[in-house]
Amino acid sequence: MTTRIACVLAVVLAGPALTGRATAAAQDSQFGIRALGTPGRWESVRSRSTGGAFAPFDPLSPLTEAPLADVPQLTATAMESASYRDAEVSGTTSALRATRFPLLNVAGRVNRRLAVGAGFTTYLDRSWDVTLRDSALLRGVLQRYTDEVTSDGSIADLRLAAAGRLSRRIALGAGLHLLAGSTRETAERRFDDTTFHTVQQLAEVRYSGVGVSGSLLLGVAPGLSVIGWARADNRLRATVADTTSAQTDLPRMAGGGMLFSPGPSVRFGGSVAWRGWARAGAGAFDTWSWSAGAEIGSARMPFRFGVRGGQLPFGPGPTAPTEFAAAAGSGRAFAQGRALFDVGVERLERRGGGLTERVWTALVGLTVRP
Amino acid sequence: MRARRAAWIGGVLLAAACVERVSAPGHCPSFCPSGQIEIVDTVLRDVISRDSTFRGYVTALQSPLLLAADLPGFADSRAIVRFNGFGQRFVLSAADTGAILGADSARLQLWVARRDSGAHNLTLAFYRLPITIDSTTTFTDLTGPFADSLVKRVNIDTLLARPGHKDTITGDSVVVDTINHVLALSLKFDTAAARYVGTDSGTVAYGVRVSADSFASIGITKRPLAWQWYLRVDSAGTVDSAGTPVARKPSSLGYAFASFVFDPPPPPLDSTLAVGGVPSARSILRIAFPHFIRDSSQIIRGTLMLVPAAPARGARSDSFVVEAHTVFTDVGAKSPIILDATRTDTAVIRVGTSDTVQIEVTNLLQFWASDTTRATTLVLRAREEATSFSLIRFYPSVAPAFRPALRITFVRRFPFGQP
Repeated sequence: MTTRIACVLAVVLAGPALTGRATAAAQDSQFGIRALGTPGRWESVRSRSTGGAFAPFDPLSPLTEAPLADVPQLTATAMESASYRDAEVSGTTSALRATRFPLLNVAGRVNRRLAVGAGFTTYLDRSWDVTLRDSALLRGVLQRYTDEVTSDGSIADLRLAAAGRLSRRIALGAGLHLLAGSTRETAERRFDDTTFHTVQQLAEVRYSGVGVSGSLLLGVAPGLSVIGWARADNRLRATVADTTSAQTDLPRMAGGGMLFSPGPSVRFGGSVAWRGWARAGAGAFDTWSWSAGAEIGSARMPFRFGVRGGQLPFGPGPTAPTEFAAAAGSGRAFAQGRALFDVGVERLERRGGGLTERVWTALVGLTVRP
Repeated sequence: MRARRAAWIGGVLLAAACVERVSAPGHCPSFCPSGQIEIVDTVLRDVISRDSTFRGYVTALQSPLLLAADLPGFADSRAIVRFNGFGQRFVLSAADTGAILGADSARLQLWVARRDSGAHNLTLAFYRLPITIDSTTTFTDLTGPFADSLVKRVNIDTLLARPGHKDTITGDSVVVDTINHVLALSLKFDTAAARYVGTDSGTVAYGVRVSADSFASIGITKRPLAWQWYLRVDSAGTVDSAGTPVARKPSSLGYAFASFVFDPPPPPLDSTLAVGGVPSARSILRIAFPHFIRDSSQIIRGTLMLVPAAPARGARSDSFVVEAHTVFTDVGAKSPIILDATRTDTAVIRVGTSDTVQIEVTNLLQFWASDTTRATTLVLRAREEATSFSLIRFYPSVAPAFRPALRITFVRRFPFGQP
């Protein structure tokens, strides 16, 4: 049995990294093209299936650190998401698809009081491909051309976190975040008149930054917990060929949540978060987001559902685009509870600046406790 | 139960299977990248300097074609060719030779590679020339033989009109090669026209003049030129017991010397930039390639603009191609040019044109941009040098109003990495 678990762990953890897609993003959006990117969701499949409501209390979701204090043993999780997205603007709908491996986390106990965790998740997704048909007057003649500008890659949030219980009711955690990633960007213009050679430029853009976070988990009453968290990231530096091309201030953010368990097989959760993205420059907004969800059933095969809503940090108009999502999912424990297979599905709608995005996302996660 | 579980797992895996399609039409500016492809088109008028012309790269002797033309006021050109013979004796068998008594006839194989299809009554006239002709022979040296030594005349139009393109009386024939666009002539020279003179070792030399109602200009391919003797050899009782002379057809001979002479001689070079002609002329242009374009831009089109100082000269049918090459290193007239089709740009020059000539030099500019150690020197030359008298002269850089210019369309570096 141990051998089987080891194999599963190796495939789940090493596979995405070896295929180079480990740092790929959670979910793209057309709203992120004219900005830093699309922020990722720092949630495991379990949390995502509850609309994100359980994320602050989930030790395997890298949103907060304090819940790590309750990790009983070495645990690893990874997830995959496949999104099917319809982007509708000006009466034109584009059907887009993407598969990502947005999360990998490992956590375990160092001693009775201290637990640590490490892993990565998507901080900003920067994968998109825009084609444009246009014309320009060149040498006195109107020249028609097709532009294609692409970006493939993302910025990952590599987190080192530690947490400990100060008392039975209080747990405290802190994390150090290293932002790293790269995108392969291309800009191409093909003229109908082949006398003009094709414009083809490409660059590897590297990103770096750091951040810190902290969280406090309180057991208010039996079955009722609340959590508060805060995070501050400094600047995202973009370099092209060892030259800094841009430096962008990253947001401060804070949030909180509540988890209520009236019984062993019922849990309700809710959370709220504020992110100060307006620091990132023009076209960026501070955002609020909320979520509510529940998990019902035994730990062996629970049923989860939830909703979330809020704002997106980047958009073309004077106000932030909005989003609303509903999610559901389940899980299945096997190998005597040493492995958990989670699935979920999410329906998301984003609106703003004349663009409406509707997304179906299938989520698959595997958690292993060797 | 197991089937249900397998179906459930299969459905999940199918939904989460790897898919990727991120390309979408851009709705700009709201949902497009902030950076745009920025194109600049500019005419650089003062980047070409230190231009000059040199002549003598390919001479008449080195030309693959023998030019024969009668273009009043432009050129009178005559092909000259010499075939060496077999000497005074001919090998009859392994042990015997016989004296060559003379020739019954001879046959000349000749390909006309280029002619003006509008020329009527195109006629070739063959003259016996001194066998001493060589590369130093001039048009004036052969004035006498071309005046009084006519040995044969062939009207190509008449020959083409005959059944099977054959003249059964003269023994001449022609084959029209429509694939290679050549006329393959096989011309019979009778005893009087093809004299085998043993004291000259059987060497013969002929000159070819061309005439027509108009546009008399042809190019004869050198390589297939061949001379076939039909000899009479004294057998002296060796191979013929009666001792009567025997006929022998030795293998055909290639030319020993082939060139052409013409009048008037090429005009002397002046300050203009000449390209073409015989001997061939080349022009060298040095370009001060701006660093801001070379180092940080992508060139998508470059055009060299040259203003003719006079209309292009040549036979009406002799439009020619001017090639622009770059060089391995710039050492002046003897700069070795890079003969690479991917780094050669061309323009067709119509004879008589005086319009500005535009040569697309995008390939060359991109080559220079990719390797900044290269000399930014352009050499202009005719594609097949010395195969026609066509010549064009351009204004040089010292003529401010008409100097060569470079029009470049380039793209600035895309602002990658900027939100």
